[in-house]
Amino acid sequence: MATKKRRTPNIQSDSWVVIAAGSVIDSQMHDSNPAFVRLRNPSTDEASLYMLGSCDEQLYEVKAFDEDFHSWFVGQTVQRDGRLLFVTPMDPLYLILPYLIKSGKEGKFQPVDQVVMDEEFPACCRLLRCTRSLASLHHIAEEKEVGGLKFHRYSEEKTMNWLQKKVERTVVALKKRNISVGEGVKSTTYVRVKSESDYCEEDYLRYAHGLISEYISEDLSKALLRHLQLPELTSPKETEPPSKKRKLSDKPVEAGEDYTKFNSADFARKPPKKMTAAQKTLAKVDKTGMKPMSSFFSPKVKVEKK
Amino acid sequence: MDISPYETDNSVSCRLTSQIPDVCRKEDCCLGIDEAGRGPVLGPMVYGICFCPVSKKEALKDLKVADSKTLTEAERENLFQKLDEAKSYVGWALQILSPNTISTSMLQRTKYNLNALSHDTAIGLVQYALDSGVQLKEVYVDTVGPAEKYEEKLSQLFPGIDVTVRSKADSLFPIVSAASICAKVARDHVVKSWKFAENLGEVDTDYGSGYPNDPKTKAWLLKYLDPMFGYPQFVRFSWSTAQTLMDSKAVTVHWDDEEEDGEKAAQRQNNRSMLSYFGASGGDNGQNPTQQTHRFFTERRLRSLNTL
Repeated sequence: MATKKRRTPNIQSDSWVVIAAGSVIDSQMHDSNPAFVRLRNPSTDEASLYMLGSCDEQLYEVKAFDEDFHSWFVGQTVQRDGRLLFVTPMDPLYLILPYLIKSGKEGKFQPVDQVVMDEEFPACCRLLRCTRSLASLHHIAEEKEVGGLKFHRYSEEKTMNWLQKKVERTVVALKKRNISVGEGVKSTTYVRVKSESDYCEEDYLRYAHGLISEYISEDLSKALLRHLQLPELTSPKETEPPSKKRKLSDKPVEAGEDYTKFNSADFARKPPKKMTAAQKTLAKVDKTGMKPMSSFFSPKVKVEKK
Repeated sequence: MDISPYETDNSVSCRLTSQIPDVCRKEDCCLGIDEAGRGPVLGPMVYGICFCPVSKKEALKDLKVADSKTLTEAERENLFQKLDEAKSYVGWALQILSPNTISTSMLQRTKYNLNALSHDTAIGLVQYALDSGVQLKEVYVDTVGPAEKYEEKLSQLFPGIDVTVRSKADSLFPIVSAASICAKVARDHVVKSWKFAENLGEVDTDYGSGYPNDPKTKAWLLKYLDPMFGYPQFVRFSWSTAQTLMDSKAVTVHWDDEEEDGEKAAQRQNNRSMLSYFGASGGDNGQNPTQQTHRFFTERRLRSLNTL
């Protein structure tokens, strides 16, 4: 093709291709619809998209399969956005955890509905309505009941045990699905002749830890690594030697150990070469407003027509 | 000429053949190759071979076969009839390359240009004659590309056969003229009775010659341009005429084997700037390595969303 096409940004569309767990719409009470909500992502501390099932019974995370050069044919229409959204069940405790940790710093037992509050994401209180939430809070917090009211306080010990169980379950799932977890394995579509059952347990643990870390804060991830007694990996950057810089000087470059030159009779340092007259005049030219040579070689892109 | 085998599916390549005359299996034969419909943006390209015993060359001349371009359509039909009647010593075979075959060949990931397609089709037809037991001694071809190279290629592929590649072979050798008539007649039939696979309703068939420089053809192309799908399969998408019109009038479609360069493209492809490898230690850019998405997700091209 002779002309270069420039891609315009994807325009927001009002339809999506979604794969969702059946439970999203499978509810006894149909009076409230499942809804997309923006909540604080425990790993990034920023907004992420989640879904709450009807009557907020169940929490779902939303992930998008997103690759370049894809579009959908939907019935008699074409959808430019080729994304495939996955709505999969998620444990609401992951999202509740950061709020508990924050209030846990005060060391007091508190009613949980006073803890899970966020001005930025007011929808977060709906997390507590999920069927599993209140029943499973004891995994991450100590409980006290006074006069029919329940109070909670974050417990790191409990949380670590809970997360460890999560990691162990993930390992089981990884093994069952034959997911390649070894270092250096990059392609999941590349089929090896040798079976990869000989991954060591540590590979699985580390991989599972990495997966769970997508759902917890960085500090917690590090603590979990210690709890699992996995040594922290040194990043390759630290082992890399510092890049050498060549010393800049006006003196001519000399070999470090060259004893011959001092023996020669006519050894003398030459002064730096003078510029020729032509070079001098060129240097004096006013270059303001001139384009650098390189600018003439950058690609010219045709604007996409609508 | 019966083109019904092609009409059952006009999106693929199809071979039509005559009976092999018995005499061609016994006596030394000559064979001519020619094509019809190389240039048009519409319809198929047809390759034809015609063969007869060397001893019958004169008889072929008596049929007054001539370069198909110098003949009217009626004359061509008439001559093809005569050739078909001479089936005791003349055989023919045709390869109809559908416009869709041409488009998909030329536009596929590893480009297969029209010359290569032409050469391979010609070679396939000669091989067909050999496989059918025709005693080939001489082959005459109208050239595609430089004649010497083509001749060398064919000679190497078919040792023992005397290959002659000439431009204007269709006016020099009667057997090539015969082949050109077969090809041209087949193309005319196919184009005339083209059944559109697309749901276009009553199709206006007034598209002129089908050549890109014909104003009627251009007007037709403009009329049948669908903004999403482009053209019916009758059109060769690989022709620059069709492409230019689609570029300007249809929706822009991006393919992943498209050349795209410049900084923006590099950024989009997540390429790192060369400079970043030379920077002072680290070059962290505030990107904490532990903050990167786990490879389970990146390998599967999955990412979180913050808005729909």
